[in-house]
Amino acid sequence: MTHSLHREGSPESLERDYAVFIYPARGYNYKGCAPKVRRLVEIVYQVGPANMIATTLRQNLYSGVSPEAVLDSIREGVRVFSVFNSREKIKQLLALFKEADQGISIVVSGLIDRVREIASEVGLNPHTLNVSLGIHGNTDRLPPGEVRQFTTMCGHGMVSPHLVRDIIRKVKTHKTDTWEGSLTLAKPCTCGIYNPYRSQALLEEMTPIYTVDRW
Amino acid sequence: MIIYKPICVGCGRCHPFCPVGAIHFEELKSVVDQEVCYECGNCLRVAVCPVDAIAESPHVYDYPRALRKYFSDPNATHAVTGIQGRGTEESKTNDVTLRCGPGQVGIGIEVGRPTLGMGLVDIQKITRALAENGITEIEENNPIHSMIQDPATGDLKPELLNEKVLSAIIEIQVNRDRLADVLKTLKAVSTRLDSVFTLDVYTLLEPGLTIPREVLDIIEAEGFAWRPNAKINLGLGRVSE
Repeated sequence: MTHSLHREGSPESLERDYAVFIYPARGYNYKGCAPKVRRLVEIVYQVGPANMIATTLRQNLYSGVSPEAVLDSIREGVRVFSVFNSREKIKQLLALFKEADQGISIVVSGLIDRVREIASEVGLNPHTLNVSLGIHGNTDRLPPGEVRQFTTMCGHGMVSPHLVRDIIRKVKTHKTDTWEGSLTLAKPCTCGIYNPYRSQALLEEMTPIYTVDRW
Repeated sequence: MIIYKPICVGCGRCHPFCPVGAIHFEELKSVVDQEVCYECGNCLRVAVCPVDAIAESPHVYDYPRALRKYFSDPNATHAVTGIQGRGTEESKTNDVTLRCGPGQVGIGIEVGRPTLGMGLVDIQKITRALAENGITEIEENNPIHSMIQDPATGDLKPELLNEKVLSAIIEIQVNRDRLADVLKTLKAVSTRLDSVFTLDVYTLLEPGLTIPREVLDIIEAEGFAWRPNAKINLGLGRVSE
């Protein structure tokens, strides 16, 4: 999950992409945390995430799992990961989290300037920042940056660059559309922070400029 | 991972899901290249095989190959740490743990990311370079710590050096005045790696989500740049145990 801060893309694209983590701390507030996390997850559902997962079920928002099943699965030590696709939603979420005051660590991964603005607007005083200093080493071996915009949306690197190219080819050849293609790309992501809305926008932007090697 | 040849119908649906392209056709059937496979389990988990021909290899938990699974499968619980994942909670719960306090910085070196994978020998190149420069504060609760045979030299256990994993995180925590040494070391060793690493730094914030100038000055002075997006702990956690 370390990887959400390394999400790649233009600032314009990242404006629509905020990962949120609900994180009880082992040895500090694990005991008795289940009802607190449940309350926070109810708020997540109330605001409407672009994707989410609870570590108890590991099934994302598009897997067919019901909110009731997710809420019922919550037990001590569960962590919940989600992603939101607008500034308005993340602001609403953080205001409700502040009001709920459950004492569980909340982490937002997104544009620093936007989070700074929103934190100020809702009266939060952020505590710790984890900033990316980029990719180093034998970077010639990496897939191109536009493919990494998709692959880095999964916190565990489970979205394959080969799958991104396959979906682009299928959209280009009308075997799928940009939304269904984005849901397929979200499927391997067991951390639930692959943002299919941003993925759809990226596919719409990229598909016309890509050529395919087989029809 | 393995694909049972007699069952496989050769549709190829599983191929693009492999993050490292380990699945290919052989005599019209899909086959997993055991050398390339990281045992991440993605091909099985996404359940695209129409005939259930994909399974976990019977040797996946043999040591040291088991490290592939522990470090590459996000749903696997690591045998050393007993938790899912390859690292610790780092900055995510720093508002209650205060692991990284005033005047300190945490550094995460995630080797093999994004989605490239790496031989553990790359980890050793980094741990050796850090040790040569007197940086031995590798996080004890991170599984990498248990793989180091000699902290003074940064040598890994020799039986691990031919293994590979999708990614692993070297976590370090130092006082801010040593951040420059760490960054210099990483810049130098980065030219000798076969794979890549993503680099991150975490620090306490000043009021108003202000990043300490001292930290930014060191990052800039060492020739690094920070991305416009970051992971931010909002300070809503409390100790209740």
